[in-house]
Amino acid sequence: MEPPVIELSHVRKMYRGRVEALRGISLQVPKGCVFGLLGPNGAGKSTLVKILTTIIRATECRGIMLGHPVGHKPTLKRVGYLPEHVRFPEYLTGAQVIDFSAGLAGVSPRRLKVRKGELLERVKMSEWQRRKVSTYSKGMKQRIGIAQALVNDPEVVFLDEPTDGVDPEGRRDIRNLVRELRDEGRTVFINTHLLTELEQVADRVGILSKGRLVREGTLEELTAAQRQYELRTQGPIPPGLAERLRAGGATTGGNTVTIDAQGPEPMQPVIDLLRSEEIMIRSMHEKRLSLEELFLEAVQDGPGDGEGGAR
Amino acid sequence: MRAVWTLLVDSYRLLRARILFWIALGISLLVGVVYLSIGFTETGVSFLFGAAEFEHDVLRQGTDEAEILYLGIFSRFIVGLWLSWVAIILALVSCASIYPDFMSEGSIELALSKPVRRLTLFFSKYLGSLLFMLLLSGSFVLLVFLALRWRIGTWNPSIFWYVPLTVLVFSYLYSVVVLVTVRTRSTLAGVLFAMLVWFMSFILDFADEMLYTFSYEGRPDEELYEDELKLKQQLQKWHRVNLVAFGVLPKTKQTMLFADRLVVVAGDRGFSERDFANLLMGGMLPEPVGDEVDRALRRNSVFYILGTSLGFEAVMLGLAALGFCRRDF
Ligand SMILES: Nc1ncnc2c1ncn2[C@@H]1O[C@H](COP(=O)(O)OP(=O)(O)O)[C@@H](O)[C@H]1O
Ligand SMILES: [Mg+2]
Repeated sequence: MEPPVIELSHVRKMYRGRVEALRGISLQVPKGCVFGLLGPNGAGKSTLVKILTTIIRATECRGIMLGHPVGHKPTLKRVGYLPEHVRFPEYLTGAQVIDFSAGLAGVSPRRLKVRKGELLERVKMSEWQRRKVSTYSKGMKQRIGIAQALVNDPEVVFLDEPTDGVDPEGRRDIRNLVRELRDEGRTVFINTHLLTELEQVADRVGILSKGRLVREGTLEELTAAQRQYELRTQGPIPPGLAERLRAGGATTGGNTVTIDAQGPEPMQPVIDLLRSEEIMIRSMHEKRLSLEELFLEAVQDGPGDGEGGAR
Repeated sequence: MRAVWTLLVDSYRLLRARILFWIALGISLLVGVVYLSIGFTETGVSFLFGAAEFEHDVLRQGTDEAEILYLGIFSRFIVGLWLSWVAIILALVSCASIYPDFMSEGSIELALSKPVRRLTLFFSKYLGSLLFMLLLSGSFVLLVFLALRWRIGTWNPSIFWYVPLTVLVFSYLYSVVVLVTVRTRSTLAGVLFAMLVWFMSFILDFADEMLYTFSYEGRPDEELYEDELKLKQQLQKWHRVNLVAFGVLPKTKQTMLFADRLVVVAGDRGFSERDFANLLMGGMLPEPVGDEVDRALRRNSVFYILGTSLGFEAVMLGLAALGFCRRDF
């Protein structure tokens, strides 16, 4: 197996003013996947990406990106980045923004010539390329932002809140683009506080809360880890019986019994018990947590050490 | 190298988008045209493209006096007021926001996430900022160069010395702006501090000149009475104190005065204040004094003036670069 593109262990960041934005993040991002980092505002998502792109220095960091320690400048030749709340100089046109990015990333002028047209086409900004950025809408700025992030043909692309302020059509375009980038073999790292964005594109998800990574895995694994079985009866379950079921670790509602379990086996004794009491079973089904439920749960019972990371 | 070039191109684009730059160029052009409108005829001097003419014996076409007067108007009035004073203020004001803008959220990330060292970013941006002054003073001096050819009939490339000198003076002051704006992100504070340094430099330079004159020139010590000698020694002490204070500041005025030695007129004659003043007073051109050096240079050597000024600039930029490189954005 190929080594992970990003491998972090124990990344900490204490801002001046003693805000502890990251409290020991360990994380691996395999090559060629879409990794979604999810978390409420102030969780530390941007801080993590800024450490990887050398915009800020970690207080403590043992990390490797693309085979080099985090902070190694030349590695950034192979990295693309769309900052959060990106702002381009107002005096530049869309095409000039791409030139600027290419110039700093060390893309040769000849290479740029070919690539610029392709990229503008790809983000559907060809018609607007000669207009000043100051005349663009938020969505158009994001499109140019993505194009400039891709100008150096990067192996890893960081997109910090890429769909921020973008209309639904634009969001769909961005999702499709992200899938294409993955299919080309690039690794895409997306920061967002919007779950629905990720649910549709991410292969792996990490949930960040108050500077800690509280869940991490494939979407499949994460939602499966929280699998439940729910059984419905015809008519209410008598109180005595409900008592006994709860004692066995189940949750009961008026006419439902729910068990956290990886397979249907633990449900069988419950069925036997209910049947022996001649209670009619209407249905039983497997229930997975949606990413949203998972997220809310993770963020709520996340690190409750109350040191007050995000204010 | 490509990164530096990219940042310079970016600075040029930034410049062109500044209204103040065009205003400054416009004023330059206007001043240049007014200068151009002064001319010499067979019989005297003409103003406003010949609208007003005055007869004069020596100030007429082809004389050394005419050339010195014409160049003097440029170097004393036009450089003194416009180029080394108003233009520099305009440049400081328009360039003050370059660093804060560059460092603003959402914008600095673009540059810092690239495979370019922060120090390279910092200094390329600095070089780019000097473009404003370079283009302004370059275009203006070019205009004057052409005016001299037209009015006096000689090509005088030595006046191009004014370009590096004004850029140099601007760079001393701009280093203060950079330090303050990198540390505080306040353009207003940056401009104010730069003005303060400039003002201090001006005052201390004046004090230096006065104290030097009174404490080292005049009659030799043997001819002085006892209390006169005491006063002189007192003044010499103050001169040394002032020298220390002035020593650390950039020498803006004295740097501009280099031009008097570098710009030649009437063949090989150096431009001098004395010649020009004489002509303005309606007098004749005195015989050239062989090894005449101007006052500032008698007090301080070129090496001292440039060394301490550039030292000041280096310290300012060093502190600013340190802040820029170590900061979390
Ligand atoms: N430059 C900074 N200086 C001090 N604190 C900061 C700075 N940037 C971010 N923080 C703090 O760090 C925490 C994490 O911020 P951030 O990484 O932007 O979160 P997210 O991107 O998940 O919304 C927040 O509490 C924020 O206030
Ligand atoms: Mg963020």
